[in-house]
Amino acid sequence: MTIEEVAQEERAPVDRAGTEGGDARGRWAQEVMALARRWWIELLRERLNLVFSILQPAIWLVFFGAGVERAIDAEVIGTDDYIGFMLAGVVTFTIVGNGISGAMPLLWDKETGYLDRLMSMPIARSSVIVSRFVFQVAQQTVQILLVVVVAFALGVRIATGPLGLAVILLTAALLTMSVTAAFSALAYAVPQHGTFFAVAGFVTLPLLFMSSAFVPLEAMPLWMEVVARVNPLTYAIEAMRTLVLDGWEARVATSLALLTLAGAACLALGTWQFRKQTGDRTQE
Amino acid sequence: MSAVIETLGLRKVFGDHVAIESLDLNIERGDVFGLLGPNGAGKTTTIRMLTTLLAPSGGAARVCGFDVATQPSEVRRRIGYVMQTVAYRGLLTGRECVEIEAALYHLPRRDIPLRAEVVLEAVGMLPHADRRWTTYSGGMKKRLDLACGLLHWPEVLVLDEPSLGLDVQSRHNVWGYIRDRHVGGATVLLATNYLDEADRLCNKVAIIDRGSVVVQGSPSELKRAVGAEVVQVSTGEPERLRRAIEAERWVKKIIAGEHGDLHVYVEDASIALPAVMRLGLEHGINLKRMTYSQPSLDDVFLLHTGRELREVGAAS
Repeated sequence: MTIEEVAQEERAPVDRAGTEGGDARGRWAQEVMALARRWWIELLRERLNLVFSILQPAIWLVFFGAGVERAIDAEVIGTDDYIGFMLAGVVTFTIVGNGISGAMPLLWDKETGYLDRLMSMPIARSSVIVSRFVFQVAQQTVQILLVVVVAFALGVRIATGPLGLAVILLTAALLTMSVTAAFSALAYAVPQHGTFFAVAGFVTLPLLFMSSAFVPLEAMPLWMEVVARVNPLTYAIEAMRTLVLDGWEARVATSLALLTLAGAACLALGTWQFRKQTGDRTQE
Repeated sequence: MSAVIETLGLRKVFGDHVAIESLDLNIERGDVFGLLGPNGAGKTTTIRMLTTLLAPSGGAARVCGFDVATQPSEVRRRIGYVMQTVAYRGLLTGRECVEIEAALYHLPRRDIPLRAEVVLEAVGMLPHADRRWTTYSGGMKKRLDLACGLLHWPEVLVLDEPSLGLDVQSRHNVWGYIRDRHVGGATVLLATNYLDEADRLCNKVAIIDRGSVVVQGSPSELKRAVGAEVVQVSTGEPERLRRAIEAERWVKKIIAGEHGDLHVYVEDASIALPAVMRLGLEHGINLKRMTYSQPSLDDVFLLHTGRELREVGAAS
């Protein structure tokens, strides 16, 4: 059979699958998984990147936590377990870092033009961002578990146990939704990658320091506390820190609800930017 | 024959720059249709509108009967788009690239491995399928892009400058796969600024310049319309030579090209050549160089725009 005959024979069923609408959700899942597969292959082939990005948070906890612990007043942070206190901060720090490095493939696709090829395909406009989200949640789950193991070795015991750890992972995933979507939106909005790194670099440290990552809210000057209280990072940190140090408390649920809202808002922003930048006119 | 791509008064304006004035195209099923024009003529803008990547500012375009502005997903399902620049595929192997894109076209999971092999085979890339993309040559990367464009057996294959930046051998290679209908019977829309590419591959050509169609038809039709063979004379005194020969019976038309060249359109070059030489001598005009050729698409472009495509292309 020639290529032409094969094509003729096979084209018809493919067309039907397309026009009948088929299983829209199944198609969407297929797109997201295909794109996530692409991110995974790239990460796994880049051994150095893989090793360093997976290890980085654990290293942070050991070097920073162990060093700074001596200089910290237990009265201020409300516990003498500074590593336990730091844990939520390190996880958050990792999520923000992943958000920036995670937007790089999007910048890259945009600048090399591969994004155009993707946009010429019949895929949902949200698939690209969502695939990054899925990929990053998977990557950082490994990172977080490793940090928790290291913290355990350093004597930290999570007050809420294994179930609490599951909720910590859920909290991290919710924050990732905000962070990934926001940095993706930035990646699509900027004219080129230099601007992206300038803006991302500019906002990252203030975002982290204006949260309760390293200092509890109660110990902050008032103006800082006000900023920290509207910072979504703070909600993720407070929820995770409560689960590690204190146990099951109602404010965990409040934090999760607020994080969900922030995530939804960022995702809407990201998808809107994406549509705007890719000149798309339809919602699919 | 039904129109697969149809545009009516298609227009694109960027700010106050009119990229596409008003474009009317009619591409029929089975055509290998060439959009030929210099850089900046509006070829890529046209293609971006037809592939739903850019919203038209005015007019209408339908691909396979679907409007690009209001039914983009229907259009996307039916086109295969091979970009001008090679798609960046990082650390993936050729096979992985193709399989991932197959999933993005929603092919049933169980059909994907086989389909990937069929399209890789179609462009001669199957033997290299499991090598990493980064190890491929420019021509291989282009062929891989072509394979990806064929994955869902599109009704329309859109190729933007398919041989741009390739060496001579890779170019002929890519042309071979397009010309020999390895594209699964798709209608092909091809943008190019290479005359020989359009001439070899296309059964129909629209020459576009400054955002509108100058002329369209089959390459042989267009060349026939030039009507003659072309004697190209290079001289330091083109105006004197023009005056010396323009009254001759065998001269059909004279157009001044760049660098003081004269393009003399004649019925029969074998008679015109010695005559031009004799008249030059009689008038004491120094002729530097003289060639003659069958009319090419370059002559078609020159005839309709007064400029040479090669020159316009090289200048930008």
